[in-house]
Amino acid sequence: MTTLARARFSQLVLPRLDEGYRLAHWLTGNATDAEDVMQEACLRAYRAIEGFAEGNARAWFLTIVRNTGYSWLQRHRPRAVIFAEDLAPEARAALESGSALAEAPVTPEAALIARDDAGQLARAVEALPVAFRETLVLREYHGLSYREIAAVTGVPVGTVMSRLGRARQHLLIRLAGDGR
Amino acid sequence: MIDDDETLLLLGAYLDGELSAGEVLAMERRLAAEPALRAAAERLRGLSADLRATPAPPPAPEALRGRVIHAIGFADPPPGGRSMSGSRPGLWRGPWGGSWGGLWRGSWRGSWQALAATLVLGLAGGATLGSGAFRVDRTGTAVEAVLAGHLRGLAAPQPFDVASSDRHVVKPWFNGRTTLAPDAPDLADQGFPLVGGRIDIVAGNPVPTLVYRKDRHVISVTVLPAAEGPGAGEERRDGTTIERWSLGDLTYWAVSDLNRRDLRAFVELFRSRTGRPG
Repeated sequence: MTTLARARFSQLVLPRLDEGYRLAHWLTGNATDAEDVMQEACLRAYRAIEGFAEGNARAWFLTIVRNTGYSWLQRHRPRAVIFAEDLAPEARAALESGSALAEAPVTPEAALIARDDAGQLARAVEALPVAFRETLVLREYHGLSYREIAAVTGVPVGTVMSRLGRARQHLLIRLAGDGR
Repeated sequence: MIDDDETLLLLGAYLDGELSAGEVLAMERRLAAEPALRAAAERLRGLSADLRATPAPPPAPEALRGRVIHAIGFADPPPGGRSMSGSRPGLWRGPWGGSWGGLWRGSWRGSWQALAATLVLGLAGGATLGSGAFRVDRTGTAVEAVLAGHLRGLAAPQPFDVASSDRHVVKPWFNGRTTLAPDAPDLADQGFPLVGGRIDIVAGNPVPTLVYRKDRHVISVTVLPAAEGPGAGEERRDGTTIERWSLGDLTYWAVSDLNRRDLRAFVELFRSRTGRPG
């Protein structure tokens, strides 16, 4: 708990609270839980700050928020987190190939309503499995590059690319209902 | 409809500005030839735009900020145990046990002031640095930096950080990387295709550079806040020509080994496509 650590914390972490909070919000789905995750993430960041060498502070902090969010979900909503590694090979293949995401296309009427309703899109994002949701959120809302997303989520760039592709196709199918 | 997975993944990566120059070229050829692929690209682009337009979750509540600052100990808790509203003490019973509880129950007004002071210092520092460094008053230094950026680009495997001929990809890419958002006119119809963008560092600040091509020549257009002194001019350094002009409060620097006449034509064209009437 040195002055230096505090100075680094105020320089590296405090300016990124909003961004971290938004990621936590996407991961947990609500404001109170996001606050819990952020408080814990900030503590972790503070404890780790002396070990953080020069580099991408943004990705570093988002990684901490993301990992804290995952352990929070495992503790409080174990069913929400499905780690691809924990699945049987065929279920894992289904998840990666997207069939686990497939849902009945909505009717054209519903699709029209969906277009009018901005909240619908946000809900569709919230309904994505967490691995797909975080990848999409990090790309579309946080503007991270594939390499940064790979670093934050701990998967190869190729997986980032395929998760992003699946998530987008899934949203398009849900919103348009006309298949691809 | 496109149901080839690999194509869809490549298309997504193309729209995200994540493909290499060669892949970009191949994708653009395919886009030109395949209407279905163009339609898929439009849908993906629309989805991204819709996603970015959905309201983001609200920013971190001030109370959270206050609690974090307090917990890290930016200020000693003032004596007296006023409890704070909305706190959730349970979470903080971590490795440091009771001390967190103590901090927790204290008022965080003190720490808030401490943070405010830190922020003000930071802002003031930033402003001072910014106004000092960003105003490139010695044009000579800026020339060196802009030229260095161009030459570094030529020496690298590719002269840009983001490869795309689509100005709707290149322009947003600068968002968050630099504070300047230059116009990126599409000049491909006149033989100057946009090939990408990169960040150069001038006087310690990240600035946007647009990269165009003319046949085998690379043209870098670096955008700086308007320098004091002459707004327009031309210089030559070792076979490289630098043209400079101002638009609004920005100065554009075009750098290339193109012959003077072609570079001049490029500059005229660029200006005619970016100049707003009046």
